[in-house]
This record gives sequence, structure tokens and C-alpha cells, in this order.
Amino acid sequence: MIQVQARRSNLLNQLFPSVISGLVLGVIGAVVINIIATHLQLADQPANTDAIVVATYVGWVIFFFVGIGAFNGVWKWGFARRDATSAEELAIAGHGQGLWRYFRYTTDHKVVGMQYLATTLVLFFLGSMGAFMIRLEQAVPGAIFFTPSTYNTIVGMHGIMMIVATIIMVSGPFGNFVLPIMIGARDMAFPRLNALSYWLLFAAIPVFLSTLFIGGFPTGWTGYAPLSDQILTPGMDAYCITIILFGISTTVAAMNIVTTVLVLRTKGMTLARLPIFVWGVVLSVILGLTAFPSFIVSQMMVLGDRVFHTSFFIASYGGSNWLYEHLFWFMGHPEVYVVALPAMAAAAEITAVFSRKTIFGRRMLVGSLITICLLSVLVWGHHLYTSGSNTALDGPYMLDTELISIPTGFFFLALIGTFWRGKIWVTVPLLFVVGMLVNFVIGGITGIYLADLPTDEILHGGMFVTAHFHFTLVGSMVVGFFAAFYFWFPKMLGRRLNHSLGVLHFWLFEIGFLGTFIALFYAGLQGEPRWSANVAPSYATANLIASLFAIVIAVSVFTLVYNVVTSVARGELASADEWGGKTLEWTVPTPVPLENFAELPVITSTPYEYGLAEPADEGFGLDAVEVPAQEVSAQPQSQPESGA
Amino acid sequence: MSEANIEGNTGGAAPTRKEPDHIRRVLTIWVVLSIVGIVIWVIVSPYILPPSASDIDSAANFTLVVFTGLSIPVAMFVFVFLGYSLFVFRVKGRPTEDAIPLKPRPGLQIGWMGVTGALCLFLLIWGLSAFYQQTASAAVSPLVVKVTGQQWAWTFNYPQYGASSQGQLIELPVNRPVEFDVTSEDVLHGFAIRALGVRVDANPGEVTTTPITTPTQIGQYSVACVELCGLYHSYMWSTVKVVSASDFSSWIISQGGHP
Repeated sequence: MIQVQARRSNLLNQLFPSVISGLVLGVIGAVVINIIATHLQLADQPANTDAIVVATYVGWVIFFFVGIGAFNGVWKWGFARRDATSAEELAIAGHGQGLWRYFRYTTDHKVVGMQYLATTLVLFFLGSMGAFMIRLEQAVPGAIFFTPSTYNTIVGMHGIMMIVATIIMVSGPFGNFVLPIMIGARDMAFPRLNALSYWLLFAAIPVFLSTLFIGGFPTGWTGYAPLSDQILTPGMDAYCITIILFGISTTVAAMNIVTTVLVLRTKGMTLARLPIFVWGVVLSVILGLTAFPSFIVSQMMVLGDRVFHTSFFIASYGGSNWLYEHLFWFMGHPEVYVVALPAMAAAAEITAVFSRKTIFGRRMLVGSLITICLLSVLVWGHHLYTSGSNTALDGPYMLDTELISIPTGFFFLALIGTFWRGKIWVTVPLLFVVGMLVNFVIGGITGIYLADLPTDEILHGGMFVTAHFHFTLVGSMVVGFFAAFYFWFPKMLGRRLNHSLGVLHFWLFEIGFLGTFIALFYAGLQGEPRWSANVAPSYATANLIASLFAIVIAVSVFTLVYNVVTSVARGELASADEWGGKTLEWTVPTPVPLENFAELPVITSTPYEYGLAEPADEGFGLDAVEVPAQEVSAQPQSQPESGA
Repeated sequence: MSEANIEGNTGGAAPTRKEPDHIRRVLTIWVVLSIVGIVIWVIVSPYILPPSASDIDSAANFTLVVFTGLSIPVAMFVFVFLGYSLFVFRVKGRPTEDAIPLKPRPGLQIGWMGVTGALCLFLLIWGLSAFYQQTASAAVSPLVVKVTGQQWAWTFNYPQYGASSQGQLIELPVNRPVEFDVTSEDVLHGFAIRALGVRVDANPGEVTTTPITTPTQIGQYSVACVELCGLYHSYMWSTVKVVSASDFSSWIISQGGHP
């Protein structure tokens, strides 16, 4: 009898608090608030549907967090008037809870990292289903498979899910799991905020998906006002709330990561010795901190227009759509670099490990990442060349945008130099780094076309833009994420991924990707507009080719899924130092124990000390000679400069 | 670093295996592939780029040709160095020893910055001069076409003729400068004629004027909406016909205008 009671209370303890109690309470809260809001409507006026929808979502979020136990600690601290005991702290970090800890408000940074990883993969999967539906519709002229309204919603959902996934894909999983270990910390600076940032993201996903059931939204991922202000589209409210929740989530995560790196570095881990990946993530989240508030604000203003009938963006009442465009792109362009910086840094990290060679010009690379971070804040105007709003500033925006190619050039110099004369071990992560660099060159160069006034004038708003940013975001950054994923998977999951399947995934993805988007470049040059459910017959061939190559991408996606599932189920066990890396995460056992280190390490050098203790001075060209450093530097600089 | 320098250094205590001159090889490959690439691009670009029907559009197409030609060596540099490294420096299986560390000399970094900076400067100057040429050479009295976007069709007016077009087809006289004054009645639209090099947003409550363009080729071209404007965005097509001056006069009269 006592046993049964104990088991029952155990079960209750397990379910509350957890994601299940959160979902249950969240749904109940949403329904209750919905009923209350509906009854509060004035009888003599038309119902304010948007107010009801927004109130319902707010109810969902608040009660979800009550249900998952986000307020339990505050409750104890405030009403029981005591701090948490260390046993309670361990319990909230997931101690002794097995796999169930991944479904609770757990503070351990490794758990949060795994949650982010799973969420990223799920979002990628859903988003790519959207992509395949888009390619299906565009494979033939005319709107055949979907109504224009459904198509617009699919495009918007694909866009937002992919944008959210790319923003979190490196900083979320690896920034949470690997970064604290890399700097020799036992956890993040604010473990509870860490859990909050993840579960805010989680809470936003049902809100976003619910747009499907209330009619979708017509604006695509950019949510341009005043289209988003138009009535009879309650799905738009879901978009706004999603962005606001996601914005808060990234802000919380960014503060946490910055504080962690500033405060919790182990002894000897000076800023000069920080692994390059840590630099990338920190710069990315700092950039996010400047960019995302304007996105949150713009969506609050849209909600103001929709719910309270303000007129920020409605021209006939003195508003302006330019205001929205500027607020949006003030987030929208730095956002690309929020995605890019950690992926680029991860690529440098991986290249060093698999070339068995220190990063070529590590300080130069850090400097270039910082420069990209600074310059990218002021480039947003190049999205508005054809808007008519800022002609006088077009030149400066163009200058700033093109200046970014200089630090990006240094990034390429650093990576090429790291490859050069390395002992190159061609693994799946390295293959993806190579793919990333190849695609990034194409994506970067086509960006110049859109940043330059005379060419943007014929390419803006067209398929060329779509192809360009898929080359940067997918071809470069998502491929960079895949590199990081194959690189850190053995550390995070404790299992090896199948090498051959990984190679297959790489080639299928790269071939499918290049085929799809080069075809779309061609369509864009001919003048095909973006966002078209109804493809005009003159662009049909290019779109059909793109769609056929998309099938190859689809096969590669399923290769990845198969690889991950089989290796988690019955893959080989990974060793602690799977690749021979020298950053700290390879010094801790796999699986990584709670609090990471038995004893905090003391750092005496950078984590790239391959070969000689002191890097040899390199020649003026990229060649190296196997001689001591002082002799090399004594050589005349005979090699002509070759960086045209 | 020349071959002689390496050989001179191998006389020391630790004799090294004679290495081929990788830098010279890779640079040769790069130069050859860049030249081949540029030649191919010059040959195929007329087939890739759509025909231009106006002065602005042919200038823009020419910019595309120049930029692409310029970017071929840049892209090839990365591809060739990466490919060469992967094929020549790869080791079988897990490496048992580390590579020799290299670090860039200041000269390489400064030179690299100089070259990328020069490229940037070129792009900037090219872009600005191409753009300001359009505004500097403004014709005295262009044909004005007022364009209004609404969900989901375009309306065209010719205020100089007191005409407004019926339906979704308009005509323009060849070799006469034309300017579009674009606005919107509801949400943001994008007014674009690829063949004429015209592309500007239709903003509600604002009139945006395009650079003056001169159609040079008689023919029929499509007008597209290039900003997502809701449900039937992708159906918002019109047609513009560039015709001879006499054909234009008779068409404008048929639209209720005066000659």
C-alpha cells in the first residue's frame, strides 16, 4: 500500500512540473482566457477578433510557464522564504532524472543544448517540408497544387521556421553545450535564464503552428506592413506573438552567453586564448542584442495597429510602410550575420583540427569577425534601394555593405591558409566545411550584385535574391551547421555517426543545393519575381530544373535522419577525444558528467598548438618551408601578391 | 619563396624531402582556370542574360557582365587553393603527426587587404557612377506615366495626354524617354519591368519616381509585381508594348487621350 502511494507520488512528481503539465495547463489557460476575452466584447460593436486571439496566446504562454514549473523557485524563495538547498539545485539541473530531464525545466547547460539541437532539427525538418511544397508548386506554371492563400502561408511558415532554426542552430545547441566546457565553466552564468530561453522558444512553436488553423498569414516571413495590418487575417497575430516570444528568448540567451564568457572563464583562459568558436558565438549574440529589439518593437507596433487601431504603418492615417521596412531590416540584415558568425567560427575550429595545424592568422580572424559584427549594423538600407525612402544614403549603405567583403576576405585567407600544407584528414565535418566555403564564395559574390545600385535595380525582389540568400543562409551557414553537427555529435550524444552515410549526405546535399539554386539564379536574372504561386510560363524550365534538384536535397535530408536515428539507437560508442581536438570539451569524458569538470583546468596556451610550440613565420606567399622560424623571416619577400 | 631557397636550407642538419613548388603550381592552375572561366563567361553571357530593351537595362546588364567577369578570378582563387590542398595535402586516415604551423606575414595581410579593398573601391565607384549617370542625364520633358498599384492590378495614366489605359496592356513609344510615377492605393507593391530596367516600390501615400529610361527595342515585355502584396500577388502581371511613335499616337487616342 505504501509502495503504491510512493509510486503514485513519484509519478506525480515526475509529471509536475514537466513539459506535459506545462502543455496541459497552457491549453487550459488559453481556453479560459479565450472564453473570458470573448465575453468581454461589447455587444454593440463588432468583435475585436485580434484582441481575443492575442489574449489567448498570452494566456497560453503564462500558464505554460506555470505548468512547467518556471515559477517554482521564485515561489519558494518568496513565500517559503528560503534559498534552494544544494540538493534542490542538483535536482533542477537534472540530477538522477534520466532521460526525463530533457522534458523538464532543467538548468544544466548540456540539457538545454540538447533541447536546442532537437528543436533545431525538428524545425529544419518542418521547414524543409515547406520548401519541398514550394518547389512542388513552382515546378509547373500556374497555381496547381495549392491555392494562392495556402501557398503564401507555406512560404511564410517555411521562411520563419528556417530563420528561427538558422538563428539558433549553432549558438543554441553548441553555444549551450560546448561553449561553457570550452571556457572551462561548470555551467552557464544564469542556468535558470538558460532554461527560460529554451522554453520561450518552445512556447512560441505551438503559437506559430496554430496560424494554420486560423487562416494562415499572407505576408511571407518579412511580415511587411501595411499588408500585415489588413483585417480578417487572425493568423498574422500568431506571427507577431511568435516573433515577440522568439525575440525575448534570444535576448535572454544572448545576455546569458555574454555574461558566461565574461565571468566564468577558467584560470588562464584570457580573452586572447579564447577558442575562435567562443568568439564567434559571443559576437553573434552581441549583434543579436542590437538587432532583435527592433524586430520585437516592429511586431508590437503591428499588434498595436491590429488590436488597438493605432496607425503606425497606415498611410491614410499618417503612418508609413517605410517605418516598418527600416525597423525590420535593421534586424533583418544583422540577423544574417547573427547566423553567419558562429558558423564561420565553427568552420575555422573544425579546419584547424582536421588540418592538424594552428589557425592561419588567428588574431586576424578574430579581428575580421569583430569587424563584420560592427559593419553589419549599418548595412540594412541596401534592402531599400528601390523603396524610394533613402536615396541620399544609398551610397553610404553601398559602401558599408561592400566593406564587409574585406573582413570576409580575411576569413577566407585564414581558412585557406589553415588548409595549406596541413595534414588534412578528410572527415565528414571537413567535407561540410569545404562545401560551406565553396557556397559562401558564390553567395558572397552574388551579394555584391544586390548591394550595388545599378544591378539591384534589375534584381531586387526577384528570384535572384531568393537564390542569393539561400546560398548564404543554407549553402554556407546551414552547411556550416552540418559541419559543427557532425563534429560535436560524438561528444554530445556519445555515439559515432556513420561515415559513409555522412559522405553520402554531403554529396547529395551539395549537388542538390547547387542545382536548385543555380537554376533559380538563372530565373532571377530573367526577372522572375519572388513569392510566386503562379510561375509565369517563361520561367517554367528553370523552375522545373530547380524542383528536380530539390528531390536530391530531400533524399539527402532523409539520409541524415536515417543516420542520426540508427547511430543513436546502435551506433559505435564515441571516445572522449574523438577527433584529436585540443579545445577543452575534448578533455572531459563522454558522456559529459554534470558540472563537466572534476577539477577546473588551468589554461596556458591557445587551443591550437599543433606542431611547433611557436608558429613559424610564414612567407609572403602562402608557401611554407620546413625550417625554423627565424630563418624563414630572414628570407626576402620574393613572392608576388596573389589575392586578386 | 623560390625553389632555390628551399634547397639552400636543406643543407642543414635535418635534410628534408624535396617538395614541389606548391605555390607556383597552384597559382598557375588559378591563372589558367580564371582565364578559361572569363572566356567562357564572355561567350555564354549573351545567352544567359535576357535581351535589354532600354538604355538603363543594357547598362545594368553590362554591369552584370563586368562584375561576373571580375568575380571569376576571386572565386577561382578560393576553389583552386581549396581543391589543391584537399588533393595534395590529404593524409590517409587519422593523421599521426601534426602539420607545421604557419602564420601570415604582415605583408600578406596588408596585400590581401589592399587587393580586396581595391576591389571594393572599384565596385563602389562603378556603382555610384552608373547610378548617378541615370539621374545626371535626365531628359528635359520625358513622357510621364502614372502607375497605381492596388490589390491585385496596375492602373496606368498618361497625364500629358489625358489618357488612362483600359486593361492590363500599355504602350510606349520607342526612343522616347519615359518616367514612371509610382504609387499604391493599399499595400506595398513593387513595379518592375525587367527588360526596361525599371524597378521601384509602389508605396501607399507616396509617389516614387523611377529614373528616366529610354526604350530602344520594339517589342512586348512583362510588368511584374515584385513585393508580396497578398493573395493574388503572383497574378499581378501587365504587359508593356514598345511601339513606333505613330502606333503610339493612335493607341493613346484609342485610350481616350488627345494627341
